[in-house]
Amino acid sequence: MPETIEAPVEVDEPDIEELVGTDRPWLVIVWNDPVNLMTYVVFVFQKLFGYSLEKATKLMLEVHHDGKSVVAHGNREKAEMDVARLHAHGLWATMERDRA
Amino acid sequence: MYPTEVEVLRDLAGQLESMLEGGVPERGGDPTRDRLFPRAYLDPTEDAAETEWQGAVHEDLVRQKSAAVGALVDSLDTGTAKRKETLEIRLAPAAVEQWVSALNDVRLALGVVLEVTEDEIRVAPDDPRAAGLELYGWLTWLQGSLIEALLADMEAPAEEET
Repeated sequence: MPETIEAPVEVDEPDIEELVGTDRPWLVIVWNDPVNLMTYVVFVFQKLFGYSLEKATKLMLEVHHDGKSVVAHGNREKAEMDVARLHAHGLWATMERDRA
Repeated sequence: MYPTEVEVLRDLAGQLESMLEGGVPERGGDPTRDRLFPRAYLDPTEDAAETEWQGAVHEDLVRQKSAAVGALVDSLDTGTAKRKETLEIRLAPAAVEQWVSALNDVRLALGVVLEVTEDEIRVAPDDPRAAGLELYGWLTWLQGSLIEALLADMEAPAEEET
Protein backbone atom coordinates (compact mmCIF):
# COMPACT_ATOMS: atom_id res chain seq x y z
CA MET A 1 0.00 0.00 0.00
CA PRO A 2 1.38 3.46 -0.89
CA GLU A 3 1.52 5.93 1.98
CA THR A 4 -1.29 8.44 1.90
CA ILE A 5 -1.36 12.04 3.05
CA GLU A 6 -4.26 14.01 4.40
CA ALA A 7 -5.77 16.13 1.66
CA PRO A 8 -6.25 19.72 2.87
CA VAL A 9 -9.05 20.36 0.42
CA GLU A 10 -11.81 18.19 -0.86
CA VAL A 11 -10.77 16.39 -4.00
CA ASP A 12 -12.08 13.42 -5.85
CA GLU A 13 -10.15 10.61 -4.26
CA PRO A 14 -8.83 8.21 -6.84
CA ASP A 15 -9.89 4.62 -6.41
CA ILE A 16 -7.21 2.87 -4.37
CA GLU A 17 -7.95 -0.31 -6.24
CA GLU A 18 -6.94 1.39 -9.49
CA LEU A 19 -3.73 2.76 -7.99
CA VAL A 20 -2.37 -0.47 -6.59
CA GLY A 21 -3.73 -2.54 -9.42
CA THR A 22 -5.84 -5.63 -9.13
CA ASP A 23 -3.10 -8.15 -9.72
CA ARG A 24 -3.00 -9.14 -6.08
CA PRO A 25 -6.11 -11.26 -5.54
CA TRP A 26 -8.28 -11.34 -2.49
CA LEU A 27 -8.06 -14.46 -0.38
CA VAL A 28 -11.11 -16.04 1.22
CA ILE A 29 -10.09 -17.52 4.55
CA VAL A 30 -12.03 -19.95 6.71
CA TRP A 31 -11.06 -20.02 10.38
CA ASN A 32 -11.20 -22.91 12.80
CA ASP A 33 -14.27 -22.98 14.95
CA PRO A 34 -15.12 -25.31 17.86
CA VAL A 35 -18.75 -25.76 16.78
CA ASN A 36 -18.76 -26.54 13.05
CA LEU A 37 -18.48 -30.29 12.49
CA MET A 38 -15.70 -31.55 10.23
CA THR A 39 -18.23 -33.37 8.06
CA TYR A 40 -20.31 -30.21 7.78
CA VAL A 41 -17.33 -28.13 6.65
CA VAL A 42 -16.51 -30.73 3.99
CA PHE A 43 -20.12 -30.66 2.82
CA VAL A 44 -20.18 -26.86 2.58
CA PHE A 45 -16.89 -26.67 0.63
CA GLN A 46 -18.20 -29.23 -1.86
CA LYS A 47 -21.56 -27.55 -2.19
CA LEU A 48 -20.40 -23.94 -2.51
CA PHE A 49 -17.22 -24.38 -4.54
CA GLY A 50 -17.87 -27.64 -6.34
CA TYR A 51 -14.70 -29.13 -4.87
CA SER A 52 -14.12 -32.87 -4.90
CA LEU A 53 -14.46 -34.77 -1.65
CA GLU A 54 -10.64 -35.05 -1.56
CA LYS A 55 -10.02 -31.32 -2.01
CA ALA A 56 -12.79 -30.35 0.41
CA THR A 57 -11.39 -32.75 3.01
CA LYS A 58 -7.84 -31.43 2.55
CA LEU A 59 -9.00 -27.83 3.08
CA MET A 60 -11.10 -28.81 6.09
CA LEU A 61 -8.08 -30.52 7.67
CA GLU A 62 -5.98 -27.40 7.07
CA VAL A 63 -8.59 -25.33 8.88
CA HIS A 64 -8.67 -27.89 11.68
CA HIS A 65 -4.93 -28.29 12.14
CA ASP A 66 -3.55 -24.88 11.10
CA GLY A 67 -6.41 -22.78 12.43
CA LYS A 68 -7.30 -21.44 9.00
CA SER A 69 -7.15 -22.13 5.29
CA VAL A 70 -7.47 -20.18 2.06
CA VAL A 71 -10.46 -21.80 0.40
CA ALA A 72 -10.94 -19.51 -2.57
CA HIS A 73 -9.54 -16.37 -4.18
CA GLY A 74 -10.43 -13.81 -6.79
CA ASN A 75 -11.25 -10.16 -7.19
CA ARG A 76 -12.89 -8.19 -4.37
CA GLU A 77 -16.43 -8.75 -5.63
CA LYS A 78 -16.02 -12.49 -5.94
CA ALA A 79 -14.37 -12.75 -2.51
CA GLU A 80 -17.16 -10.70 -0.93
CA MET A 81 -19.72 -13.02 -2.47
CA ASP A 82 -17.87 -16.14 -1.32
CA VAL A 83 -17.61 -14.79 2.24
CA ALA A 84 -21.35 -14.08 2.27
CA ARG A 85 -22.14 -17.59 1.05
CA LEU A 86 -19.89 -19.07 3.73
CA HIS A 87 -21.53 -16.90 6.42
CA ALA A 88 -24.94 -18.03 5.20
CA HIS A 89 -23.78 -21.55 6.05
CA GLY A 90 -22.41 -20.53 9.44
CA LEU A 91 -18.73 -20.85 8.62
CA TRP A 92 -16.39 -18.24 10.06
CA ALA A 93 -14.89 -16.67 6.93
CA THR A 94 -13.01 -13.44 6.29
CA MET A 95 -11.17 -11.92 3.32
CA GLU A 96 -7.87 -10.16 2.91
CA ARG A 97 -5.63 -9.11 0.06
CA ASP A 98 -2.90 -11.56 -0.89
CA ARG A 99 0.40 -10.25 0.52
CA ALA A 100 2.49 -11.96 -2.16
CA MET B 1 -38.27 -38.38 17.67
CA TYR B 2 -40.06 -37.93 20.98
CA PRO B 3 -42.71 -35.21 21.30
CA THR B 4 -40.56 -33.53 23.97
CA GLU B 5 -37.66 -33.37 21.49
CA VAL B 6 -39.93 -31.80 18.89
CA GLU B 7 -40.94 -29.15 21.42
CA VAL B 8 -37.29 -28.50 22.34
CA LEU B 9 -36.47 -27.93 18.67
CA ARG B 10 -39.47 -25.65 18.26
CA ASP B 11 -38.37 -23.60 21.25
CA LEU B 12 -34.77 -23.34 20.03
CA ALA B 13 -35.98 -22.36 16.55
CA GLY B 14 -38.01 -19.54 18.06
CA GLN B 15 -35.00 -18.31 20.01
CA LEU B 16 -32.87 -18.39 16.87
CA GLU B 17 -35.51 -16.45 14.91
CA SER B 18 -35.44 -13.66 17.48
CA MET B 19 -31.62 -13.56 17.35
CA LEU B 20 -31.79 -13.02 13.58
CA GLU B 21 -33.72 -9.79 14.08
CA GLY B 22 -32.13 -6.45 14.83
CA GLY B 23 -30.13 -5.62 11.72
CA VAL B 24 -26.35 -5.60 11.41
CA PRO B 25 -24.96 -6.30 14.91
CA GLU B 26 -23.06 -3.58 16.70
CA ARG B 27 -19.68 -5.21 17.26
CA GLY B 28 -18.99 -6.28 20.81
CA GLY B 29 -22.66 -5.90 21.78
CA ASP B 30 -23.96 -9.45 21.63
CA PRO B 31 -21.35 -12.18 21.08
CA THR B 32 -24.01 -14.57 19.80
CA ARG B 33 -25.16 -12.20 17.05
CA ASP B 34 -21.50 -11.37 16.30
CA ARG B 35 -20.96 -15.07 15.63
CA LEU B 36 -24.09 -15.50 13.52
CA PHE B 37 -23.10 -12.45 11.45
CA PRO B 38 -19.29 -12.20 11.49
CA ARG B 39 -17.18 -9.51 9.87
CA ALA B 40 -15.86 -10.09 6.35
CA TYR B 41 -12.87 -7.76 6.71
CA LEU B 42 -10.61 -7.99 9.76
CA ASP B 43 -8.33 -5.21 8.49
CA PRO B 44 -9.47 -1.97 10.21
CA THR B 45 -8.41 0.06 7.15
CA GLU B 46 -11.20 -1.74 5.30
CA ASP B 47 -13.91 -0.59 7.74
CA ALA B 48 -15.72 1.37 5.03
CA ALA B 49 -15.79 -1.72 2.79
CA GLU B 50 -16.95 -3.77 5.77
CA THR B 51 -19.87 -1.43 6.46
CA GLU B 52 -20.83 -1.36 2.81
CA TRP B 53 -20.62 -5.15 2.55
CA GLN B 54 -22.72 -5.71 5.69
CA GLY B 55 -25.31 -3.31 4.33
CA ALA B 56 -25.40 -5.17 1.04
CA VAL B 57 -25.61 -8.75 2.34
CA HIS B 58 -27.16 -8.65 5.80
CA GLU B 59 -30.78 -8.79 4.72
CA ASP B 60 -30.08 -11.69 2.41
CA LEU B 61 -28.21 -13.60 5.14
CA VAL B 62 -31.17 -13.11 7.49
CA ARG B 63 -33.54 -14.24 4.77
CA GLN B 64 -31.58 -17.45 4.13
CA LYS B 65 -31.20 -18.26 7.81
CA SER B 66 -34.87 -17.53 8.48
CA ALA B 67 -35.90 -19.75 5.57
CA ALA B 68 -33.85 -22.63 6.99
CA VAL B 69 -35.25 -22.32 10.50
CA GLY B 70 -38.75 -21.82 9.07
CA ALA B 71 -38.43 -25.05 7.09
CA LEU B 72 -37.35 -26.84 10.25
CA VAL B 73 -40.37 -25.56 12.17
CA ASP B 74 -42.70 -26.48 9.29
CA SER B 75 -41.51 -30.07 9.24
CA LEU B 76 -41.87 -30.35 13.02
CA ASP B 77 -45.61 -30.11 12.42
CA THR B 78 -45.62 -33.04 9.99
CA GLY B 79 -44.72 -35.75 12.49
CA THR B 80 -46.89 -38.86 12.43
CA ALA B 81 -47.35 -41.03 15.50
CA LYS B 82 -45.25 -44.18 15.65
CA ARG B 83 -44.91 -46.90 18.22
CA LYS B 84 -43.46 -46.16 21.64
CA GLU B 85 -44.93 -42.68 21.56
CA THR B 86 -42.43 -41.40 19.04
CA LEU B 87 -43.13 -39.20 16.04
CA GLU B 88 -41.83 -39.90 12.58
CA ILE B 89 -40.77 -36.86 10.57
CA ARG B 90 -39.89 -37.54 6.94
CA LEU B 91 -37.65 -34.99 5.25
CA ALA B 92 -37.14 -34.35 1.54
CA PRO B 93 -33.45 -33.84 0.59
CA ALA B 94 -33.91 -30.04 0.40
CA ALA B 95 -35.43 -30.04 3.88
CA VAL B 96 -32.49 -32.05 5.23
CA GLU B 97 -30.19 -29.24 4.08
CA GLN B 98 -32.42 -26.64 5.72
CA TRP B 99 -32.40 -28.63 8.96
CA VAL B 100 -28.61 -28.92 8.85
CA SER B 101 -28.26 -25.14 8.33
CA ALA B 102 -30.72 -24.24 11.05
CA LEU B 103 -29.26 -26.74 13.52
CA ASN B 104 -25.83 -25.31 12.75
CA ASP B 105 -26.97 -21.78 13.64
CA VAL B 106 -28.63 -23.04 16.82
CA ARG B 107 -25.41 -24.83 17.76
CA LEU B 108 -23.32 -21.75 16.94
CA ALA B 109 -25.47 -19.63 19.25
CA LEU B 110 -25.51 -22.26 21.99
CA GLY B 111 -21.76 -22.76 21.56
CA VAL B 112 -21.15 -19.08 22.30
CA VAL B 113 -23.38 -19.13 25.38
CA LEU B 114 -21.83 -22.35 26.72
CA GLU B 115 -18.30 -21.32 25.68
CA VAL B 116 -17.83 -24.61 23.87
CA THR B 117 -14.26 -25.58 22.97
CA GLU B 118 -12.88 -28.28 20.68
CA ASP B 119 -12.19 -30.50 23.66
CA GLU B 120 -15.06 -32.37 25.17
CA ILE B 121 -16.24 -30.49 28.24
CA ARG B 122 -17.02 -32.64 31.24
CA VAL B 123 -18.96 -30.97 34.01
CA ALA B 124 -20.60 -32.22 37.19
CA PRO B 125 -24.33 -32.97 36.92
CA ASP B 126 -25.12 -30.02 39.18
CA ASP B 127 -23.04 -27.60 37.09
CA PRO B 128 -25.18 -24.79 35.68
CA ARG B 129 -23.93 -25.65 32.19
CA ALA B 130 -24.76 -29.37 32.45
CA ALA B 131 -28.25 -29.22 30.92
CA GLY B 132 -27.11 -26.90 28.13
CA LEU B 133 -24.17 -29.13 27.26
CA GLU B 134 -26.37 -32.19 27.16
CA LEU B 135 -28.72 -30.38 24.78
CA TYR B 136 -25.75 -29.23 22.70
CA GLY B 137 -24.50 -32.81 22.50
CA TRP B 138 -27.86 -34.04 21.31
CA LEU B 139 -28.06 -31.31 18.64
CA THR B 140 -24.55 -32.25 17.50
CA TRP B 141 -25.60 -35.88 17.16
CA LEU B 142 -28.78 -34.92 15.28
CA GLN B 143 -27.01 -32.57 12.90
CA GLY B 144 -24.17 -35.06 12.41
CA SER B 145 -26.52 -37.83 11.31
CA LEU B 146 -28.27 -35.54 8.83
CA ILE B 147 -24.90 -34.45 7.39
CA GLU B 148 -23.92 -38.10 6.90
CA ALA B 149 -27.06 -38.49 4.79
CA LEU B 150 -26.20 -35.39 2.72
CA LEU B 151 -22.63 -36.54 2.11
CA ALA B 152 -23.79 -40.02 1.13
CA ASP B 153 -26.21 -38.41 -1.34
CA MET B 154 -23.43 -36.26 -2.76
CA GLU B 155 -21.16 -39.24 -3.36
CA ALA B 156 -23.74 -41.27 -5.21
CA PRO B 157 -25.82 -38.86 -7.31
CA ALA B 158 -25.44 -40.99 -10.45
CA GLU B 159 -26.94 -44.04 -8.80
CA GLU B 160 -30.02 -42.10 -7.84
CA GLU B 161 -30.69 -41.13 -11.43
CA THR B 162 -30.94 -44.69 -12.69
